[in-house]
Amino acid sequence: MTAVIPAGPARHVEDLDAVGRRWRLGVVLFIFADAAFVASLVFTYFYLRGLNTDSGWFPDGAASTPIWIGWTIAAGTVLSAAAYRWGHSGIRAGKEERLVLGAGLAVLVVLVVVVGQLIQLATFPFGVADSSYGSTTYVLGAANMFHLLITLFVGLGIVNRGRLHKFSSTNNWQVQIIGLWWTWVAAAAVLSAFTTSFVASPNLLVGNG
Amino acid sequence: MSEAMVEFAAAPPSTGGGGLLRRLNLLTAVAGGVLFAAIGWYISHRIMQLGDFGSDRVVTITLICWALGFMVGIGAFAGPLRWLLGRDQEHEDEMFLAGKDQGIGRYFRFTTDHKVVGIQYLVVTMVLFAVGGTLAMTIRTNLITPNSGFLGPQTYNAVVGIHGLVMIIATIVMVTGPFGNFIMPIMIGARDMAFPRLNALSLWLLVAAVPILLSAAFLGGIPTGWTGYAPLADQAPPGMDAYTMTIIVFAMSSAIAGVNITTTALTMRARGMTWSRTPIFVYGVVASVGLAIPAFPMFMSAEVLLGMDRSFGAQFYVAAGGGSPWLYTNLFWLMGHPEVYVIVLPAVIALMEITPVFTRKPLFGFNVAVLSIVGIVGLSVMVWAHHMFTTGWAPDLNGSFMLTTELISIPTGLLFLVIIGTIWRGRVWTTLPMMAVYAMLWNFIIGGVTGIYLSDVPADYALHGSMFVTAHFHYTLMGAGLTGAIGALFYWFPKMTGRMINKRAGLVSFWLVQIGFNVTFMGMFAVGLAGQPRRVVHYDHLFAVGNFVSTMGAYCIGVGMLILLYAVVSSWRHGAVAPANPWGAKTLEWAVPNPIPLENFEVLPVVISDPYGYGEGDPVLPPTQRELVPVGAPRDPVAEDDTETSQS
Amino acid sequence: MTIPAQVGGRVRSWMNRPEMRGVFWIWAAMTAVLVVFSLYVPARLMGPPASPTMHAVENTMTVFTVAASPVAAAVWSVALYSLLAWRHRGSGQPETDGPPIRGNTPVTALWLVLSSLLCVFLLIWGLAAMQSVTAAAAGRVPLQVNVVGQQWLWSFSYPGQGDIETDQLYLPIDQPVVFHVTSKDVVHSFWVVQMGIKIDANPGETTVTNVTPNKLGTFVVRCAELCGLLHADMEAAVHVVSADDFAAWARGRRSPPVESSPPK
Repeated sequence: MTAVIPAGPARHVEDLDAVGRRWRLGVVLFIFADAAFVASLVFTYFYLRGLNTDSGWFPDGAASTPIWIGWTIAAGTVLSAAAYRWGHSGIRAGKEERLVLGAGLAVLVVLVVVVGQLIQLATFPFGVADSSYGSTTYVLGAANMFHLLITLFVGLGIVNRGRLHKFSSTNNWQVQIIGLWWTWVAAAAVLSAFTTSFVASPNLLVGNG
Repeated sequence: MSEAMVEFAAAPPSTGGGGLLRRLNLLTAVAGGVLFAAIGWYISHRIMQLGDFGSDRVVTITLICWALGFMVGIGAFAGPLRWLLGRDQEHEDEMFLAGKDQGIGRYFRFTTDHKVVGIQYLVVTMVLFAVGGTLAMTIRTNLITPNSGFLGPQTYNAVVGIHGLVMIIATIVMVTGPFGNFIMPIMIGARDMAFPRLNALSLWLLVAAVPILLSAAFLGGIPTGWTGYAPLADQAPPGMDAYTMTIIVFAMSSAIAGVNITTTALTMRARGMTWSRTPIFVYGVVASVGLAIPAFPMFMSAEVLLGMDRSFGAQFYVAAGGGSPWLYTNLFWLMGHPEVYVIVLPAVIALMEITPVFTRKPLFGFNVAVLSIVGIVGLSVMVWAHHMFTTGWAPDLNGSFMLTTELISIPTGLLFLVIIGTIWRGRVWTTLPMMAVYAMLWNFIIGGVTGIYLSDVPADYALHGSMFVTAHFHYTLMGAGLTGAIGALFYWFPKMTGRMINKRAGLVSFWLVQIGFNVTFMGMFAVGLAGQPRRVVHYDHLFAVGNFVSTMGAYCIGVGMLILLYAVVSSWRHGAVAPANPWGAKTLEWAVPNPIPLENFEVLPVVISDPYGYGEGDPVLPPTQRELVPVGAPRDPVAEDDTETSQS
Repeated sequence: MTIPAQVGGRVRSWMNRPEMRGVFWIWAAMTAVLVVFSLYVPARLMGPPASPTMHAVENTMTVFTVAASPVAAAVWSVALYSLLAWRHRGSGQPETDGPPIRGNTPVTALWLVLSSLLCVFLLIWGLAAMQSVTAAAAGRVPLQVNVVGQQWLWSFSYPGQGDIETDQLYLPIDQPVVFHVTSKDVVHSFWVVQMGIKIDANPGETTVTNVTPNKLGTFVVRCAELCGLLHADMEAAVHVVSADDFAAWARGRRSPPVESSPPK
């Protein structure tokens, strides 16, 4: 036989650290999956921009969205992630109020960013059907919106649970794994802003229609 | 099953725990799905006037609402909401969710027990195979003569697409779903998966996707083949919206399952189960679902963009608006080639797990097997463009993709070495599972060699898009993959159902399926070499003989599969009761009693050697663990009572 | 004793073991059968080639099948021998276990080296074949043919011949041809079956392939990418004719006789 059964009492309750480690790995893998999704959208942007089929990437006379809007949204997301981290460092030192304050602030910033992202999506100076630039910019914005909404949900959860005294200096793995997600959302927003900073196609000679 | 029903009648669920989930089951899920779909349809069609009765936007919104309503109705959102509100689950709730004392009802709920989820996956897989197989018979019937006229071109294209997608989904889940969920956690000595609720979520997302997929049949079908190439997909009927939604929901399900299974295998192995003591099947499952984690989100993004093209007139794949069909093929095959290994690896490696048991020998070259799995996984993400040699997207890169593709033959060859090395001088016990190993050795060699022809760029120019390709991938996905899954089913059937499978019916079905399979696809190789394109509703008289032979072989497979279905259903209901370890195997799943208790192990085992020590005698316990009781020794009845009381 | 002699002695004693002899003879017989199969079947099924490209492809098929024969035979001969010699002939579990062989480094190394060599051979073969296909077109000025796919027919035009348009392909024998392929709607795939060339017709892009027909006769273009309802019917004839006949045909198409021009 390959295994033995220890002759001790049965233990069905698991160690908190083990559970935390497990969830951390799970969240890292989820972020990996989501990163593959975001990466394929970024690939889409640069590939279509590079191909510029029929000179249709960004037709002459088309309008583009101002670059600063994307960077402002990214900056807001980074700010919220920083506020959340501040709150997390609070609970690690056992300060519950700081967690609630930091996470609450982070949620408020995300709320503002959600509104900003909504306004951007609603007021793009082009339609989703106008050009492949338009389509890809829309989908990047929508993906960011999706990230922000999930972040809003989990952020609210952390604020509420912090208020209900669910966390302590030793039991804060939930705060930590959501911090990982938050950091990734901020990174993805920066990546998205970076991507949409490149508008005109470098490939202007193509077009064999 | 009948026993379970008696149990259900005798012991009604206890009243404690569960909360809202107590009232939710498959029926409320379907009701929720239908209700949400109706509301979605009414709002999008009547109120917002987004389009006609069957326009793309209306269909897409209706299908999204179906999936949402179904998940609400099954109770998938109850957990996250309780978390948000800070009302965490009590032990009693968890026990209810795990299906404690619920008899057969637990198979129709959001049940978290990995064994329930495994059985649910098995049933869903079998339903999908039944649908896909029936469609395959329809396709072959149409191709029995050059101009049979059995199906019109529109129906034919629709049927081919649905057959393809149904079978792809069925084969992706066929090993990691039933056996990865049911067997793998016990094999590593765990009480459940790492994230039991995500496990139920991935299963019910798959169940929600099945009606969406089947709805394609009533929405004009999927007339693009399973690949759904744009821009043909842009002009297809609303069945294509069902296609994109199916893939989006299924991709979520697979990514979630991938995260869950990977985390389980990485963090929940029993004490003492080092990587060199971990059964090879665990490696196969992790390789498969690990590849799925990055692959399926890419698939999902390809289909999100396609859905936007169709519903909002976006320009991702439409050349006139600056889009490109090459974008679709790239995104699709970035997923599509790893996906091939998602299907084949766990099936072949399940057979690798089976081989030592039925040759009574240790696995030959365990480290070689592990390295070759790692090699295949690593290379598989670098070969996608060999599906695109003829697209013209980057002719200069064809040589390098030929290189990476041919390199895969080296680790794949090592997998064969491991299996024949294990068979070498063994006590070959030719049971049904072992027969599947032999069948795989035959089929997978043919599938692999024909794959090498197709990796050769000039040969691919001649063969791409012909029936030769169809025959090639059926040899790998069906000849190796499905054969492996059937072998795994034969092997683990006694553990999963507590009954022995009907050996005679199994034998008849095995021979009918394997002979039929080889006849079908040898015929297809011949017509493919002679120049018959894939996915054609009628063909030149030149190809008449080969196609007739193929169709006869296909009928043979069909009859064999019906007999297999009979064997499974009848043995499940009243087969001979199986002993706990009918094959004398050494992995941990055979050390738990039949039927398996709710949390598998009362006391978690400690692993002291790998499970392949055939012919080596029992390993000596290290001195520090002498007080441990070996598995299989009679358990202390008092201790058992204690755990019972502590659980309830 | 020197090292080669030691190795030689080990190999000899190995080869004297009954299972090695059994497997060897099965392997030799299987390899022989498979080689004969390789030499006669795959290329014949593909039919007589109508271009050097197709000829090279058929050679590749034959050579690869020959190369795969000993490997396939190695796996299958062990499998077959194990069933003949080592099968446990009782109904229950075998009473004794097999020998506890956990691996064999020389065998694994040999397998790895042989399969790597085979892989390198396949790669070099493939690259050389790709090279020869491109080199063949380099020498002479090719005849350009523009190919347009649309649902569900092919149309061809000859820009060097006064823009003749036609729905059947006419090609002069032994003259390099370059096809510029595009599509009006969805993706099609331009496949000249007997010449072994194929390239997708993509909307918005032009792809290029080339071939030198070397056989007189009528061949066929099929669409090899599912393109909708009548995909199966998307075929066109290819007539390979002598250079003189081609010139005459082109002249005839450029200035069509008055009686056959469409009525105003």
